[in-house]
Amino acid sequence: MFRPEDMVKIEVVTLNRFKDPLLTYLHEVGAVEIRELDVELAQRDSPNEYHRKAASYSITISRLADFLRAYRKSSGGGIKAFIFPPERKRKKYRYRGIEKLIKDVEEFLSVVEPEVKAVENKITSTQTEIERIKEEIAVLELLSAINIDVEYLRHSGLVEVVVGTVERQKFDGLLKELREATEGRIAVASREMKDKVLAVFAFLRKDYEKVNPVLAKYSFERIEVPEGKGTPSELIPVYEERLREKEKELESAEEEASKMAELYYDDVVFYQELMENERDKATVLPMLVRTNMTFALSGWIPRKDVPEILEGIKRVTNGKAYINVKEPSKEELDDIPIKLKNPGWARPFEMLTEMYGVPKYNEIDPTPIIAFTYSFFFGFMLTDFLYGLIVGIVAALLVKGHKKFNDGTYKFAYTLLWSAAFTMVMGILFGSYFGNAGDIVLQYVTGNPNAQFPRITDPLKDPMFVLMLALAIGLAHLFLGYTIGFLVRWKNGDGKGALLEQFPWMLVILAVVLYAMPSKPEWAVMGAKALFGTGIVLFAIGEIAANGGLAALMIISDFFGFVGTWLSYARLMALALATSGIAMVINVLADMVWGIKISVVPLGVVIGIIIFFGGQLFSTAINALGAFVHSLRLQYVEFFGTFYSGEGKPFSPFKSKREVSELELEA
Amino acid sequence: MDPIVYVSLGAALAAGLAGAASAFGVGVAGAAAAGVVAEDEKNFKNALILEGLPMTQSIYGLITLFLILLSAGIIGGGFRFAEPNTENIVKSAILMGAGLTVGLTGLSAIPQGVIASAGIGAVAKNPKTFTQGIIFAAMAETMAIFGLVGALIMIATGVGL
Repeated sequence: MFRPEDMVKIEVVTLNRFKDPLLTYLHEVGAVEIRELDVELAQRDSPNEYHRKAASYSITISRLADFLRAYRKSSGGGIKAFIFPPERKRKKYRYRGIEKLIKDVEEFLSVVEPEVKAVENKITSTQTEIERIKEEIAVLELLSAINIDVEYLRHSGLVEVVVGTVERQKFDGLLKELREATEGRIAVASREMKDKVLAVFAFLRKDYEKVNPVLAKYSFERIEVPEGKGTPSELIPVYEERLREKEKELESAEEEASKMAELYYDDVVFYQELMENERDKATVLPMLVRTNMTFALSGWIPRKDVPEILEGIKRVTNGKAYINVKEPSKEELDDIPIKLKNPGWARPFEMLTEMYGVPKYNEIDPTPIIAFTYSFFFGFMLTDFLYGLIVGIVAALLVKGHKKFNDGTYKFAYTLLWSAAFTMVMGILFGSYFGNAGDIVLQYVTGNPNAQFPRITDPLKDPMFVLMLALAIGLAHLFLGYTIGFLVRWKNGDGKGALLEQFPWMLVILAVVLYAMPSKPEWAVMGAKALFGTGIVLFAIGEIAANGGLAALMIISDFFGFVGTWLSYARLMALALATSGIAMVINVLADMVWGIKISVVPLGVVIGIIIFFGGQLFSTAINALGAFVHSLRLQYVEFFGTFYSGEGKPFSPFKSKREVSELELEA
Repeated sequence: MDPIVYVSLGAALAAGLAGAASAFGVGVAGAAAAGVVAEDEKNFKNALILEGLPMTQSIYGLITLFLILLSAGIIGGGFRFAEPNTENIVKSAILMGAGLTVGLTGLSAIPQGVIASAGIGAVAKNPKTFTQGIIFAAMAETMAIFGLVGALIMIATGVGL
């Protein structure tokens, strides 16, 4: 807690023949972040033919998987699958080296790929066919305006027939030029359509060279006339019959595809995962160096994993390995990857810290603090017992359903569960149950028009109190931040920075607290003045030291920056009041329609209930979103601004992704 | 001016200005949302949430409207400041000031919509930027929140609920 995981550097040199087993072992354990090695004597390693094959097969298989996924019968889905997603079964694969794996995949592909491809081709070709028939039917419908046998329209021999459309205003010009070009040896049939003219021209074959440029000049669009005998209106039913046949064919092909999906999909996804992991494994090869007989790798590893990994490496290499575990040196401080280390109750909150950026190796990990302050601010801004209950129930269901996956949804729902608890507590403190709905019900039940749930104060009646509370909380939050920053810098040997950047604000905050004491005793006012003065002088010295000539400007802007940061906590009050305000608006609206009756039907009650529950649910959603965003912002902008850099490099171990597969390694 | 003019202007400006600004903001973000949904339907949820962010200003405006009406007695009972004496005029003018504060700071919905629309574009390229996009857009809301703080204090301490 408060410190990232201890890291050490590990270096391994061993024989080339252990490379594949060793990398596979490390990939499955996922505890080492491999870094690039630079050794002059040796050359860099590179992927071999099998790794390249793995990359290419992973693409082939992912195409198969995409196709089969589209025809898979969807199982369940919906809200239940979202809250309680089923666990996917993991199939075991006994790993005997990449060569054997590639061979297995090739064997699998040799059976499955042709079958799937055949169905896929059938589906695409039938679809193209259907498209073509539909187009031809459209052409026939167009041609049915001129009732001429299709056979004649396709005619070509001594006489050439051309069918097409041309823009209406160009038609007369086209006709005139065609007559001139062919010296009148042309027959025309035409029908006017909306803004075009459908025309059929018949002319002698030998005039074709003269006619063609004229047609092109007037941008005459030719129509490919469908095959068949009879007039277009006679032919349309024939084509429609053909279309139905093809559609049936498509249906049966799709049926076949979904059968195939049922049969092969799981296997395809299984092999896809195996191949993708092989491809991923090969990406570290260029970071290793090798000689003819040996290779070397180096990387970072959490100290607690060292014994297990050492044991594992020895086992995989039969003890024929040189292993060196080193403490990080001072120069490597910025290079050390950061893995956050927190007790179980705070671990899901690491997500919030990681989203901003992990700390440097010698900085503090703020996750445990965030766990409390983030949830508390969320609760302060939502401040309603029943809203908290709704959010809490949803979060608890998600936590239950997703715990086994430890995924983003689980982590987020867990943080939401904490926030909901704080919301409920704050709701009880301020006596808010769907805003003032609780009080209204209580008054109705007890018959006392002034009955109220117990509360410390009514935020809508006494907003100044809530504002003061919010600003006091803000001051405490900032003081905590500056104190942490001071301690961390002091410990890291930056005493000057600690004294000039964090310490002045600690003094100023203490001065504000002393000055705000209600009875204002003389010693407190004197103390406040002294602390404030010292703080401002130190702060000014710090600005001059850091900015030189610009200090005068920076003193003003940074001082008001601090005031702005502090006042920013007023949002705690504004959002708390916005929640009770919106809830009250909904209650007033529901109350307005409550009395409406049509003869004896209490229509108003029905509409009122709909408005009430619909409105309160909407209000829960929108206010929870607001509370989430602004609580996070107070952490990231105001709190982290006092001490936190977030510039560490997150630990990204060399690790396999296993959802549907599991490797069994040979001992 | 009669007190009723101040009060109704205050309520109208709070809900009206903030509401119009929210509409602009949601409009800008909505246009971007429609684009990214066309690229990939999976963007719908993220785009919808980002699109909804500039809507909060109109809610602040609505709350202020209700509080002004409640404070002036228009909701629940009769109009409290019917008599045009100095005290009533002062109180109703304070209510108008409160409404105007929320209405004007509610204009922050327009830039918030611009930020949200950029955020929607970013989320379509990289879904991991979702929370960051929300935070960026929430920055613009700060001014509206300050406006609401000011207005709440004006209504509660200057006039009383």
